[in-house]
Amino acid sequence: MSPVSESYLGITGYLIFWLLFVVAFFFFIQRLIFLFNLIRLGRPENRFDRLFFRIKSAFVIFFSQWSNLKTTSLRDPAAIGHAIMLWSLTLFAIGYLIFIGLGAGFGLNSILFNTTFEGIFFSVLDIAALLVILAMIWVIIKRYLIVPERLKREQDFTEKIIQPLLITGITLLMLFHLGIESFRYAAYGIPDSGSLLGKPLARAILATNISQVTYILIYRILWWLNYVLLLGALVYAPYSKHLHPLTSFANITFRSLTPKGSLKPVDLQKPETAGAAKIQDFTWKQLLDLYACTWCGKCHIACPAQLSGKPLSPRELILGLKEHLMETGSIISKTKKSNLTVESREKNAPNIMQNEQVEDTAVIGKVINEEAIWSCTTCRTCQDVCPVYNEHIHKIIDLRRYLQMISTTGTAHDCLKNLRVRGNPWRGTMHARTDWIEDLDIRIVGENSKVDILFWVGCTGALEDRSLKVTQSVARILQLAGVNFGILGEEELCCGDPARRLGAEHIYQMLATNNIQLLQSYNIRKIVTACPHCYNTLKNEYPQLGGNFEVFHHTELIEDLIKKQKLKPVSASRELRVTYQDPCYLGRYNDIYESPRNLIKSIPGLSLFEMENSRNLSFCCGGGGGRMWLEEKTGQRINEMRLQHALGSKSQIIATACPFCLQMFEDAVRSREESESMQVLDIAELLYDHLKIQQDNIRFKDSD
Amino acid sequence: MSINKGILVFCEFSGDSLTSLTLELIGAGSRLAKSLDEELSAVLIGDNAGRYAQEAISSGVSKVYVIEDPLFKESLCEPYLIALNKVIHQISPSIILLGQTTLGRDLAPCLAFHLNTVATMDCVGLELDPSSRRLLMTRPVYGGNAEVIQICETDPQIVTVRAKSFDPAIQDGSRQGEIIRIPAEIDPQQLRTKMISVHTESQAGVKLEEARVVVAGGRGIGSADGFKQLGELAGILNGAVGATRPPCDKKWIADSQQIGLTGKIVSPDLYFAVGLSGASQHLSGCYTSRIIVAINKDPEANIFKAAHYGIVDDWKNIVPLLISRLKEVAVHNK
Amino acid sequence: MKNIVVCMKQVLDPEAPLSLFKIDPEAKRAILPKATPPVISPFDENALEAALKIKDSQPAKVTVISLGKKLSRAVVRAPLAAGADELILLEDDLFDEFNTLLTAHALSSAIRNLGQYDLILCGIQAADTNAGQVGIGIASILDIPFITFARKVELIGNTVRVEKVLPHGFAVIEAPAPAVVSTSYEAGELREPGVEAFMSASKKPVTVMNAQQLGMTTVPASPVSFRKMYQLNRERKCEIITGSSPSEKVDRLMSVLQQAKVL
Repeated sequence: MSPVSESYLGITGYLIFWLLFVVAFFFFIQRLIFLFNLIRLGRPENRFDRLFFRIKSAFVIFFSQWSNLKTTSLRDPAAIGHAIMLWSLTLFAIGYLIFIGLGAGFGLNSILFNTTFEGIFFSVLDIAALLVILAMIWVIIKRYLIVPERLKREQDFTEKIIQPLLITGITLLMLFHLGIESFRYAAYGIPDSGSLLGKPLARAILATNISQVTYILIYRILWWLNYVLLLGALVYAPYSKHLHPLTSFANITFRSLTPKGSLKPVDLQKPETAGAAKIQDFTWKQLLDLYACTWCGKCHIACPAQLSGKPLSPRELILGLKEHLMETGSIISKTKKSNLTVESREKNAPNIMQNEQVEDTAVIGKVINEEAIWSCTTCRTCQDVCPVYNEHIHKIIDLRRYLQMISTTGTAHDCLKNLRVRGNPWRGTMHARTDWIEDLDIRIVGENSKVDILFWVGCTGALEDRSLKVTQSVARILQLAGVNFGILGEEELCCGDPARRLGAEHIYQMLATNNIQLLQSYNIRKIVTACPHCYNTLKNEYPQLGGNFEVFHHTELIEDLIKKQKLKPVSASRELRVTYQDPCYLGRYNDIYESPRNLIKSIPGLSLFEMENSRNLSFCCGGGGGRMWLEEKTGQRINEMRLQHALGSKSQIIATACPFCLQMFEDAVRSREESESMQVLDIAELLYDHLKIQQDNIRFKDSD
Repeated sequence: MSINKGILVFCEFSGDSLTSLTLELIGAGSRLAKSLDEELSAVLIGDNAGRYAQEAISSGVSKVYVIEDPLFKESLCEPYLIALNKVIHQISPSIILLGQTTLGRDLAPCLAFHLNTVATMDCVGLELDPSSRRLLMTRPVYGGNAEVIQICETDPQIVTVRAKSFDPAIQDGSRQGEIIRIPAEIDPQQLRTKMISVHTESQAGVKLEEARVVVAGGRGIGSADGFKQLGELAGILNGAVGATRPPCDKKWIADSQQIGLTGKIVSPDLYFAVGLSGASQHLSGCYTSRIIVAINKDPEANIFKAAHYGIVDDWKNIVPLLISRLKEVAVHNK
Repeated sequence: MKNIVVCMKQVLDPEAPLSLFKIDPEAKRAILPKATPPVISPFDENALEAALKIKDSQPAKVTVISLGKKLSRAVVRAPLAAGADELILLEDDLFDEFNTLLTAHALSSAIRNLGQYDLILCGIQAADTNAGQVGIGIASILDIPFITFARKVELIGNTVRVEKVLPHGFAVIEAPAPAVVSTSYEAGELREPGVEAFMSASKKPVTVMNAQQLGMTTVPASPVSFRKMYQLNRERKCEIITGSSPSEKVDRLMSVLQQAKVL
């Protein structure tokens, strides 16, 4: 029965089967090796820790399709269709392995044909095939009739041809399945254990009353066409984005398991290993990302830089780099075959300053321009919505690190110089770090004070006019609750986040090592801070340099104090609507969403109204990634766009939990008439206004 | 070695008369001469310096030394040094007063090193030590955050004086004095620095140092457009626009409009300090204004400690309203 | 190969917040807390930038000389990262920051020791003394010409050409090399070095000398002494004009100014 066991023009089907397979497989493997070698051009990176866990969790993530489904909405239900396709095609893949691979190739079909097992399996495949065909119709509608924003992309000629061919191909495979089983049943008899659709289709075929020989012929033709189409797909897949099932699985396996908010460390003794100027300066994992991307465009439509008209698109970055890798990679791998080992590559590491080598494989200016590189706010929305776990931010940071290597670009000059010389990014501030204290009695750790927890004030909280009030509110709240806390005062240096996000690693490491030494010399274990950027760097990045501390955001700590009844908010004088901005570095980066909300809700009389795009989809205020110190020259202002969302919530108060969001909203609110009456307040300020004021609990300088 | 006696004023002039700073020097010099009971002399060095001699005498100078030569037209330090030295050699003054001007800042240190002494620059106060009868000179240090009173033990005591630190001398046409002409006798070959060309950047409107109203902006202005708005305000009041250092660095306004210790010193009737924090550097340049109005959104800004009046608000809310109200008043008054 | 010398002075941070600034009346000097590090005097950084601009366009060796009582290595080494080739530190307890004569003589000695030099650059004045005499003093001691307030400096053959800032414009002045030129901030902000530059700076030569090693056996006594130093109290009673809206505030301001007869 099996078409493979027949002879064709004297040649046994087995020979044809295996010959075709070997040829196809050869081309498939050859292409895979080529792609693999391109990735090997990248720098080393250790993603092989906890290998068992990685593979196991990758299976779960991949097959549950959760990373795609989590961004599904009524407006964008595509992930459902994709999940159906994935599950269906996985079943088909298994089916092909069993029934074509083992069954035909190894002759096991004699055991498998017409068994109950086959019947059930084929029935499942029947349903799957229908679902896939429906999905294909959905795809046709979405690619040609109602195209979603994220898929609107300039396609080149080949892409325009390939797309319909692919849709046709997949549909054909489904139809072939139905055709093959039904014609086989029609030719050789319908078994009782026949498949769900196979049986009725076979009966319909039999009703045409053509000869059995014809049925057999058609069956065999369909079978071989199906086989050839499959092999064709196998050969073709690595030349298209349909390699993504393989590469996305690999990408998920090798995803980052380190804290979301920590950037790759840099060995300053080898500054040429930090930063990327040429495609082979990226690590192999960063290059793998390029293969895993299927240009779904979810990052593109979520990026605040892109949405506000900046020249940056995370999708275009990935795809541009991929094209670049394809074009230049083959040149590099041919001429530098001997340099493929890690040791020899490091020894011959092309000097960054040697312009000729940088020229041909340079990324900056070719794939992405400098304005785009500096436009990123590192908000992490792109990575959060990416179904294949791509890491866009590290690439941008590596490009920035390269630019800071040679640094005649003058980006954020005042900020970086002030960080290097004075330890804070706010050039021109007239405040000392302890000015906010005024009459409060605050313990300074350096003056021999033993404290339970350190209040890390941060540069903005101490030196930026508007934020001083937030710092005072936090201090007063902690005092009201009887917390034994202290500050570093003038000794505190910037945590280093702006320097690190701007790519100036040398300044970051100088600040961080000094801070860590200081904190360790005072035996500090616990730290509370009101700035999510400080929070993130102290908690997730300082361990890279040996600093391990227990770090809390002020909303976490204060929520705990209220739970323990150390603080009791009183009712607001009037009913007010409050909306809340999830800071990128608190929410997406560190998964703190509820504490700030609980604090707002703990004040009777205040009601929380979410703005659109909240929680993990929160829209950036525009201040992260060092952008507080860079000017927005193109397009709309990101903070004004976010203000629109806030206005949409029809609230009187915008509550923030980050000094950058606070600044950005204050600026935006002043720029428009309709928002002028809105108040922007940090949650600490909001709360402090509503705490039962116990005068004797607040310590002033003369009271002790 | 003769004992040094007498006060010598180095005069500068422009157009038809001595500069106002020169008149202030003469005023201060007269006071010192009276206290010390010594003679007040002046030296006029320039292309056509003699024409100002009478004015110097009317201001209170007893002896005027005039050295003329077309060489001096270029105002380079070298020939002035040679000429001044001639006079000093002749009269051995104990005190030499110069203005803190482009020329004075070059000439005073140069002269001092030549005479193996040290000059005292940018003085804002001159008193006499009761016991030694030597000058007690007050000058700013640390960017204007502090002042020091210093004394120089060797003669001559060379001082440059900041504009508007002293009252100008009062003219009295009846005063008599001596005019002594000294030949320059300078060999142009021995002069090493050469002036190749001078480029004047024309300044629209009122000159900053002479304006009765000044509108100054700082970092808080945010852009060149912001300064255009300040220009509009200054224009209505027939004043000039000034700035602290950061806006000049960022090219929001020309460098020549910088007000401060290392910029221009102004003392108008009305000074608007808009969006600037009030660092000492800047205050040094404007503190003596008759009325300072500060506009800043930060109530803690240092400028509010130095101003007479203040509004705590974003300048973008205040300045446009101020402009329109002033326009209304102007129309009303027509 | 041209030889350019840049004199760079370490000073108390002129941008330190006022609340931290104190005068020690006994020592007659300012003191800042330890947490506020010293910096390079800003005009001297402009001088280095002017030197580096010349080095950008022709082969030149830039030697930086710093003089002081106690020099912070982190601060004074930064010029090497910016592009200077060699650093000479003159460190001695005798080197008081307000002693003009001593400073000029010490720097001149060090410069003479270098042998050949084409151009000496420094800032128009130091951020602590605000005097502006040392550069001119060096020129006087070495008997070479000087040009102050440069916004642009060029070395064309054996001629130093300078654009000098004037109150309302500028002048082009030339002098034969070697000459002393002092720069104002218009000469340009010092370039901020990148990571590689900082790392490679540690390999550049640094020479440290005290007064004796410099060959200064006799130290000229300063004819100037301080009687008193005090913080300037520029405080006035400021009347804050309030109002429930900006236009109310503006109206009140107008009437106040009209009463004071300035409007």
